[in-house]
Amino acid sequence: MGEFRLEPGRVSLRSAGPITFGPAGILFMADNAAATVFAVDVADPGPAGGAEPFDLEDVDARVGSFLGCGPGDITIKDMAVHPLSHNVYLSVQRGHGDAAQPVLMRISVADGAIDDVPLDEVPFAAVAIGDAPGEDDERLDTTLPLGDEGEEMQFGTLKIRLLRQPIRTATVTDMAYAGGALLIAGLSNEEFSSKLRRIPFPFSAGIVGSSLEIFHVSHGKWETAAPIRAFVPYDGGASVLASYTCTPVVHFRLADLTDGAKAVGRTVAELGPVNQPLDMVSFVQDGEEYLLVANSAHGLVKIACRDIDSQSPLTEPQQPVGVPRETKDLQGIRRLANLGGSYVLALQSDDAGRQHLRSLKTASL
Amino acid sequence: MTEAIWSRGGGGDCIRLTGLPAGADVRVFPGTAVPTVSLPPMAGRLERDGADLCFVPRFAFLDGMSYTVTVEGTSAAVLVRPRPERPATTEVTGIRPTAGEVPVNLLRFYVWFSAPMSEGYAAGQVRLARDDGSIIAGTLLPTEHELWDGSRRRLTVLLDPARIKRGLPSHQEAGYPLRSGKPFRLVVGEGFRDAQGLPLRHSAERRFEVGDEERRHVDPVSWELAVPPAGTCEPLQVIFGRPLDHGLLARCLHVRGPGGELVDGTARIGPGEQSWQLVPSRAWASTVHQLVVEPVLEDLAGNSVSRVFDRDLTRSEDQSRPARPVTIAFHPG
Repeated sequence: MGEFRLEPGRVSLRSAGPITFGPAGILFMADNAAATVFAVDVADPGPAGGAEPFDLEDVDARVGSFLGCGPGDITIKDMAVHPLSHNVYLSVQRGHGDAAQPVLMRISVADGAIDDVPLDEVPFAAVAIGDAPGEDDERLDTTLPLGDEGEEMQFGTLKIRLLRQPIRTATVTDMAYAGGALLIAGLSNEEFSSKLRRIPFPFSAGIVGSSLEIFHVSHGKWETAAPIRAFVPYDGGASVLASYTCTPVVHFRLADLTDGAKAVGRTVAELGPVNQPLDMVSFVQDGEEYLLVANSAHGLVKIACRDIDSQSPLTEPQQPVGVPRETKDLQGIRRLANLGGSYVLALQSDDAGRQHLRSLKTASL
Repeated sequence: MTEAIWSRGGGGDCIRLTGLPAGADVRVFPGTAVPTVSLPPMAGRLERDGADLCFVPRFAFLDGMSYTVTVEGTSAAVLVRPRPERPATTEVTGIRPTAGEVPVNLLRFYVWFSAPMSEGYAAGQVRLARDDGSIIAGTLLPTEHELWDGSRRRLTVLLDPARIKRGLPSHQEAGYPLRSGKPFRLVVGEGFRDAQGLPLRHSAERRFEVGDEERRHVDPVSWELAVPPAGTCEPLQVIFGRPLDHGLLARCLHVRGPGGELVDGTARIGPGEQSWQLVPSRAWASTVHQLVVEPVLEDLAGNSVSRVFDRDLTRSEDQSRPARPVTIAFHPG
């Protein structure tokens, strides 16, 4: 892993967040509490995956049982599929509050066996992703830690351990690897902006990457920016389709993004009222590339990439709007990942709140 | 006869088992019964300690959780992990904005707590309510990602931007989350858990009147400055003319001296986030100073110094302004 500048050591995760695979089976893991993205060689033990589907009922209960807690005590933050073995990786938070513990889980597609991925001594690299606080922002919130975190301060004869944490934070909402760089979308806990960070990989010391803001225009009349909630590179990484928290679906080309220049994407669709984008994936069907958009209000939305390229910017506020799309009768899907070329793996919640892994055959989508 | 008790062993908490035959198949499952469907047992290892066996979990036992021990596939014991009895001590210490009236296109609240909190409760415990107590549904941004500060004491709550931005189907069909002239309350339920897993001492709320929409840039040039006399440590006072965002105010205003050096002092945000003052730690010099305003400073509706929340392309006054700090000169007299 020398070519990726990974060094062996302990990955000290403080929180579970979005995950995605990069080159050579390296897993990118966002740790929002630590404002860091780790690139980890997970040393996947599996043989090359085949073209078979993989389904697993009650994945939340299974992971919870392994971790010694009920399904209500775990949160599956994200899912990724190893590009070669097709083993499934879950970014899981176990417990709440001070007892919360981030765990990376691996599920074998060969037999459904569940295990945690030790991160004590693995090749890894790390990069800071918090909006670098300016010299003007020295605000820290000071609390008394329970453990040995923080620093010991002397007040007269009294020694007190204090933990000082930044008030301004950035939360990664989605990540993808494209064109030799890690793309990171995030939300600030203060300003309302649309930042897409592009960090070259392998990470280099002192290189924090560029931060790009992509505006979009609503119906030819209002230009606006909002945080990107989910996005997917396609067309070999040349294009990106991004879905915003205010629900427009916007296209832009990575080559058009220049540091410091204003970028305006092209709104090609709307997910509609009282809806939130959750995840996106691209897949190939009959030689054509398509995108799937998981969202909170409707079934999976399928969009043909060729329609995105030919769609002119939306100017009509009324439905139907934007690119032709097909809404599949697949409800409750929160996360999507490619399972080889023949299937897309979905993390799906049923009406009772139980979570399952389902394989969706790309030929039938 | 197998007996199972909580104990210590293997470097931590364990379940100690006595009376087991050698080589017994021992498993531990969370819950009060053997699972009816095939679930993996809890991860851990068995360690021999004299005549006993200790189950040492890979992930710590959770307070209040029950664990079922099976031997050869049959339930042998159920143990309940004790939950320490502690009184609730955490409370809400502030809800921002504090302005009595907010614009109908209000974007953001901040909720401050007295102690670090648990994630996962915001969607269920933070809500908007009418004066009659009924919940105003569909107003807050449903997000999987709660927005906390580093110590998990300040929660940022966004109103659904799809209902605030003009031209979007959500706004056109459902309108603003708020209604001009219709007061509302932001309510934080006592079921919000702190980092210890305890509820709040009591719920908290703040009531707001709702005014008209606010779609203008934040314009520092229009601010009113009360300039202090030179040679004193009296405050520089800045009055904005409308409430600004509390979180951003705390980092977007500074004063620089004639050489560009930062003037040290104590900054304070005024009532209703409508003003700001700086008490210098050393007396003002009789020379020109600069109030520096960062371009990301927003008002309550997400309009910033550099741009409005959503720009009407037909209005020239909505055009974005340079994303660089704005400086306002003043001379302590």
